[in-house]
Amino acid sequence: MKLGVILTEQARTESTYERLQAEKLSVVLAGNGIYHAVLKTDGKPSNVLDKAADFYVLTEDMETRGFTAGDLVDGKIKPIDMSQLVDLIMVEHDKFVWL
Amino acid sequence: MATLTIGCFSSLVGSTSLDIAVKLAKAAREKGHDVNVWVSGNGTMLSKKGQRAFKDYSFLAKTVEGLIADGAQVTACEACAEARGYHKEDTMENFKRHSMDWYLAKCVGSDKVLHIGGE
Repeated sequence: MKLGVILTEQARTESTYERLQAEKLSVVLAGNGIYHAVLKTDGKPSNVLDKAADFYVLTEDMETRGFTAGDLVDGKIKPIDMSQLVDLIMVEHDKFVWL
Repeated sequence: MATLTIGCFSSLVGSTSLDIAVKLAKAAREKGHDVNVWVSGNGTMLSKKGQRAFKDYSFLAKTVEGLIADGAQVTACEACAEARGYHKEDTMENFKRHSMDWYLAKCVGSDKVLHIGGE
């Protein structure tokens, strides 16, 4: 299954994300989830980025919080707008979940 | 083109989920998709008429009006709204109110569903 995840929280205590597996997995960092894309802790990027997945960050939510594409901590994170998110949901994945 | 149903339980207070949900619905309509939006729980605040815009505070009423005018079906859980004191006469024009059966039927009939839980 082609599965997409929208991750909107910075602080997480649940393990759903860690347990997710799919043939193709995409993670969209939105809302406060964008902090996984732009902040490091003790010099290390968020372990959210350790997952074998394609990573996206919602540009609008990143810029709302004062960050730009230049602040991304890893080159594998692709900035997208709302229109591109629609295509990820409607065309490129079988299902999308919100965490 | 396809049909997207978005269900959201979160209000604008303490969460940005409703903000993202409404903007996503708008983007989907702009790409020609049919869109259903269901708000439940505290998310029913979105249906309240007379919302006032403030600087630096998300204001979704205008976007919702545009969505409805553009053909999106936007519906609030009637019981959740009534429980919070939002009555029919308090509801934004053309913002529907139904039981959760409406949401279930739309989910079953849609190509894609995005369910956003509460805060």
